[in-house]
Amino acid sequence: MAEIRAEITANVWQVVAEEGQMVAEGDEIVILESMKMEIPVVTEIPGVLRELHVEPEQVVQEGDLIAIIDET
Amino acid sequence: MTATGGGDVHDWGPLVGDLKARRDRALAMGGQERVERQHSLGKLTVRERLDLLLDPGTWVEYAMLADHMDAGLGDRYLAADGVVTGVGEIDGRPVAVGAYDFTVMAGSMGQVGERKMARLRELSIRQRIPFVWLLDSAGARIQSTSGSTFAGAGALFREQVAMSGVVPMVAAMLGHCAAGTAYIPALADFVPMVKGTSSMALGGRHLVKAAVGEDVTEEEMGGSAVHTKISGVADLEVADDKECLEIVRKYLSFFPSHNQEPPPVRERGDPVDRRVEELYDIVPTAPRRAYDMRKVVTALVDDADVLWIKPEWAKNVVTGLARVGGQPVGIVGSQPMVLGGALDVNAADKVARFVWMCDAFGIPLVFLHDVPGFIVGSAVEKQGIIRHGAKMLFAVSEATVPKISVVMRKSYGAGYFVMNGMAYEADFIVAWPTAEIAVMGPDGAVNIIHRKTIEAVPEEERTQKRLELAEEIRQNIDPYIAAGHAQVDDVIDPAETRNAIWRGLEVSRAKRVERPWRKHGVLPV
Repeated sequence: MAEIRAEITANVWQVVAEEGQMVAEGDEIVILESMKMEIPVVTEIPGVLRELHVEPEQVVQEGDLIAIIDET
Repeated sequence: MTATGGGDVHDWGPLVGDLKARRDRALAMGGQERVERQHSLGKLTVRERLDLLLDPGTWVEYAMLADHMDAGLGDRYLAADGVVTGVGEIDGRPVAVGAYDFTVMAGSMGQVGERKMARLRELSIRQRIPFVWLLDSAGARIQSTSGSTFAGAGALFREQVAMSGVVPMVAAMLGHCAAGTAYIPALADFVPMVKGTSSMALGGRHLVKAAVGEDVTEEEMGGSAVHTKISGVADLEVADDKECLEIVRKYLSFFPSHNQEPPPVRERGDPVDRRVEELYDIVPTAPRRAYDMRKVVTALVDDADVLWIKPEWAKNVVTGLARVGGQPVGIVGSQPMVLGGALDVNAADKVARFVWMCDAFGIPLVFLHDVPGFIVGSAVEKQGIIRHGAKMLFAVSEATVPKISVVMRKSYGAGYFVMNGMAYEADFIVAWPTAEIAVMGPDGAVNIIHRKTIEAVPEEERTQKRLELAEEIRQNIDPYIAAGHAQVDDVIDPAETRNAIWRGLEVSRAKRVERPWRKHGVLPV
């Protein structure tokens, strides 16, 4: 199990993946918007997207939990 | 029988035989058992490492016949007193090498061994040749130095500081190193670490348990994952000893032997006027879209060959050594893939150090801008973003090597300055048609410039008003405005970028900057 946390204070712009979905290493989970840029948040491990803790328009602070991946 | 009488006066055999036996004993290091143990840990011996590091047949050893000479250690023999020192060549250029031998009392730093190292530092500085440490040492030999004669110790670090920026210094981490042997890399320019077998920590595992009660392994505390990904103390994680020594050779290939010699220029194969049309595919024109700056760098430099420095730490900026037209260059690029390429404390730290290192040895700098600025907000202020940002600004301002800038897309606010804007003695600064140079982005600026106008309209119309006004501001963010004011030297087709970098290097080859005398600046760190 791996937690994906926000690395920067940002708006959640798009949620790309869905709970329960299989994800491969490097897949985008959500896209944040901060500092005039779209910042893709990717998983560093392959697995199942177990929990998704954000929705579009929401503000995340650095360190906030975005998702939990169950490693396959 | 000769006239002087008393037997054979040319009886060299036993003398030469005795010398050979002494040499063989030194070459046997800590003995077969310990050598086997070294191999079983996945490590090479000190002698095997020297063979891989240096050009064949060039090694001149100093004090191979040293021993501990410490009455307290009795009559046990410590080959070379645990550290092999000498001068050999890399690519035909001499390099001083001090290599700790873990098979000899865990490579601990004894008095004789350290005298050897002191002599080697002296040779390195007198002959102006790089110094390479191969570190595989438990640190100070506590058995010999546990008392207050420590009061006179420590010259090694002060001398290393004096060497910094005069000759290149590389500390290759090839074993578990604690205390003394962890400060050596801290003061060196380049620190590769072998994954799994190397570590560095101010206190070793046993000391940490005793002093603070923490029970951790060397790997957890100071392994390559910690220092190349989290702390930023080391530069590069490598798979094994062999790769580590190859990387040391490669790193030094970019550097002169000392700071008064130009960096070595290679024969040029890759044409300098090569059009880099791959960039059209790599870099999106949509300004908010991310891409991998490493691909841009690889496409631009000679033969797609880059030695990345600290690639796993502060990944929002990339730093690497490469060549353009055979000329070594240090490349600093924003990385839109991570944090949108915005600068934070670690990125500023990484670039400042890289710039100081290149500048010290005459390696020109190339800045690839796609930087939305420094990250703002309370989190980064608590981390001291102002002083770290100032450090990067200081390093870039101070650097007197040729400095070339390519503004690819965003270059906002202080981000533009610290990436070597026009005012930072940029020798050639060019912009792509997609370049956005301004004090801040339109979405931020609108709330400051037009705050009252926006507040004056009804709430439901404010978002629309804000967008309209931001669009007005956006019209003024245009590379042709900067070019029209002669504030960038040219606007270029992205495919012309390699050639533009080369021309920038050509025109600034004889660059000379003179500043008012000072002892040194007061560095923000």
